[in-house]
Amino acid sequence: MYQYDAVDQDFVADRAREFREQVARRLSGELSEDQFKTLRLMNGLYLQLHAYMLRIAIPYGSLNSRQMRRLAHIGRTYDRGYGHFTTRQNLQFHWIKLRDAPDILDQLAEVNMHAIQTSGNCIRNVTSDPYAGATAEELDDPRVWSEAIRQWSSLHPEFSFLPRKFKIAITAAPKDRTAAKVHDIGLMIRRGRDGQLGFEVIVGGGLGRTPYVGPTISEFLPANRLFSYLEAILRVYNRHGRRDNIYKARIKILVAALGAEEFARQVAEEWAKIGPEGDLPDTELARIRGAFAAAAFDPLPARSEVFEAAKAADPALARFARNNLRPHKKPGYAIVEVSLKTIGETPGDATSDQMDVIADLAERYGQDDIRVTHEQNLVLPHVRLDDVPEVFAQLQAAGLASANVNLISDIIACPGLDYCALANARAIPVAQQIAQTFADPDRAEAIGELKIKISGCINACGHHHVGHIGILGVDKKGEEFYQLTLGGSGAEDAAVGKMLGPALPYDKVAGAIDTLVEVYLRERREGERFLDTYRRTGVEPFKEAVYADAH
Amino acid sequence: MKALTANRLIDGDVVFWKAGTWVERFADADLFDDAEAAEAAEGKAKSQPTVVIDPYLIDLMESDGLWAPLSYRERIRALGPTNHPAHGKQAEGGEVIEALLSADGAARSSGRVNLIKRK
Amino acid sequence: MPTLIRRQDNDQFVLADDPFTAVSDDEGLPPGDVIISFTRFQAEGDSLLAEGRAVGVRLEPAEEVEALAYDLPRIAVVALAFPKYRDGRGYTAARLLRQRFGFGGEVRAVGEVLREQAGFMVRCGFDAFVPADGSTPQDWAHAVHRHRHVYQRAADMRTPAYVEREGG
Repeated sequence: MYQYDAVDQDFVADRAREFREQVARRLSGELSEDQFKTLRLMNGLYLQLHAYMLRIAIPYGSLNSRQMRRLAHIGRTYDRGYGHFTTRQNLQFHWIKLRDAPDILDQLAEVNMHAIQTSGNCIRNVTSDPYAGATAEELDDPRVWSEAIRQWSSLHPEFSFLPRKFKIAITAAPKDRTAAKVHDIGLMIRRGRDGQLGFEVIVGGGLGRTPYVGPTISEFLPANRLFSYLEAILRVYNRHGRRDNIYKARIKILVAALGAEEFARQVAEEWAKIGPEGDLPDTELARIRGAFAAAAFDPLPARSEVFEAAKAADPALARFARNNLRPHKKPGYAIVEVSLKTIGETPGDATSDQMDVIADLAERYGQDDIRVTHEQNLVLPHVRLDDVPEVFAQLQAAGLASANVNLISDIIACPGLDYCALANARAIPVAQQIAQTFADPDRAEAIGELKIKISGCINACGHHHVGHIGILGVDKKGEEFYQLTLGGSGAEDAAVGKMLGPALPYDKVAGAIDTLVEVYLRERREGERFLDTYRRTGVEPFKEAVYADAH
Repeated sequence: MKALTANRLIDGDVVFWKAGTWVERFADADLFDDAEAAEAAEGKAKSQPTVVIDPYLIDLMESDGLWAPLSYRERIRALGPTNHPAHGKQAEGGEVIEALLSADGAARSSGRVNLIKRK
Repeated sequence: MPTLIRRQDNDQFVLADDPFTAVSDDEGLPPGDVIISFTRFQAEGDSLLAEGRAVGVRLEPAEEVEALAYDLPRIAVVALAFPKYRDGRGYTAARLLRQRFGFGGEVRAVGEVLREQAGFMVRCGFDAFVPADGSTPQDWAHAVHRHRHVYQRAADMRTPAYVEREGG
């Protein structure tokens, strides 16, 4: 993990102090709400339906046990004893008071955490692969670049008042676990023909009102030219992004308006003027890279007899192993996904007690390394197979052992109208109902990989556009209705889902999902996931079944 | 019938106008059946920028013989999140809370009066 | 006279007398030094300079600094407008003026200029400010000096963290 040095520590402490002053000036009336709102957003503080919401940055989804315990403590002390992990690997608290925010930021700074730029029209949390450093698939460790970009983008003097928010994701493996292609900038780490490290640069992807899979602007950018190129992209956007209409202000609109080729040309032109002076020196990259040096792994056999015996004796552990474990690059280790999608609970939420359990497990069994996925789950990336039975037992005791990762009940849902001032409809109860419908773990496994994503409004924080089944809450004459889409994907085969048909009322959604699953089970061929079957059959059999009553 | 609501600056809590001050329970809120009185109150509320943020009038409807916000969003603000019945003001219970919980139907989901600003 | 705050070479902030009069396109020109729009500068800039006046040019966010490039040696002040404080185009403009075109005159922030933006503005090369929030030079000095470290190189030539770390 990256360790803050004195510079980094001073930086977050100074920022917390600055915000404390700004809060005081707001409370005294020196700052108007209009002036203050931008400042508090740049520290991740939203005003929502019931209270303030604080979005704490978990840079590229990585944190250690000490930090997780501090989040648990903040949840207990200043909130209602729980937090919500988001689709950008951050953590949100939904019941925060403005008067506590400065203390909270101080306490975060003490453990090298912050809420810098988790909102506002600036560069947001850089998200990355939660398996970084643990998977054999990666071409390079994307955390190195994520951390470098985090620092470069923090209080960037030129790019802190962009036309709109700006989101960057970095992936380094063939399987994209970051939804890079639907980000403002998606960086895909590549090797050139001579083995040189570089990036395929995608610009102008996005969700929301106008979803786009972003075009490739540079097929291969040498890695040591990353920062000058980023500066060129941001400068073109800062100068030419629309500022007249917030719904048309993202970079994806600019890229679509200019066309990818012209946009790339403008970036290249600016990039040539910036030159290598705009790049981060190799020494600094090496320093950051050194911080992510491989943890010490024990030389173990690939097969763990302890683990195998435990699986044979406990079908629940076997199911957990089937669905929640991923191969680790080191023999005898596993990547353990911890589902925050317990049937009947709020997706993505963890109580402070549960956070403490994760912290303990990471410290004791996981090299003190915890990750957040962009699908609202957690990961212990380095667990010895020998230890998995014990880890599983403790997760079970804490209600964290749902063996449903990537299955139908592993639903992503934004907080929706229950919490969010922007929402048109609720997302959480819809997710809960669907999860209940598919509570039978055998049935869920039989269905296989099926990613349902629910957003309570068109801002798409639930990433519904890239759900295999996407659900968008809309307001029809004050009632909650839900638009279903099919065939989206946020992975390397990124695609925007297509509308199924007219929006359905709240009480018809779970049933419609059931119908869609029945069609899939009927139509599927050997080895096909839901997404594959849909891509083969098209929407007709699904549409017909769901809207059969209408005929 | 209308009520006047806002979020309190210091803690973000949902509050309602009552005779020049702010109360936490919808049950205690002033109700306005006179547009002028409602707008006068709104005007006064807007002159309290260090007390509340963004005060606005909301439409009400009848439920169980009591008044409830017309819009679903405003009912959620007055009650709390539907996924945690122990969180928010709904935990208090009582007659008005019950009326809010059983209120049905809505016009626009925001329930704001004059939401659409014409330039 | 609107308040003009200037950042001096020694990083001090002072209240300054403003010798320039900002003149809109439909106003008659007073004697002395003036700041005029880019359009007006294109029409009358040469003759005003020939009169021996110091001339400043005001750029709106959509007007690009490149258009001024050839005239910069003759221009005393570039006033970059912030119609809304959230409009961040002025930061790019200032940075390019300093770092790409080597402009040595005054770069002035006008419009909705708030002390909370002081840090960003100074880093981008602004050295004069007409605040809209009644803030004082002390307020600006305080805001600018809030951060002991910066991560990026910018127009202010402050040492970025990665150089600090090398012992630089």
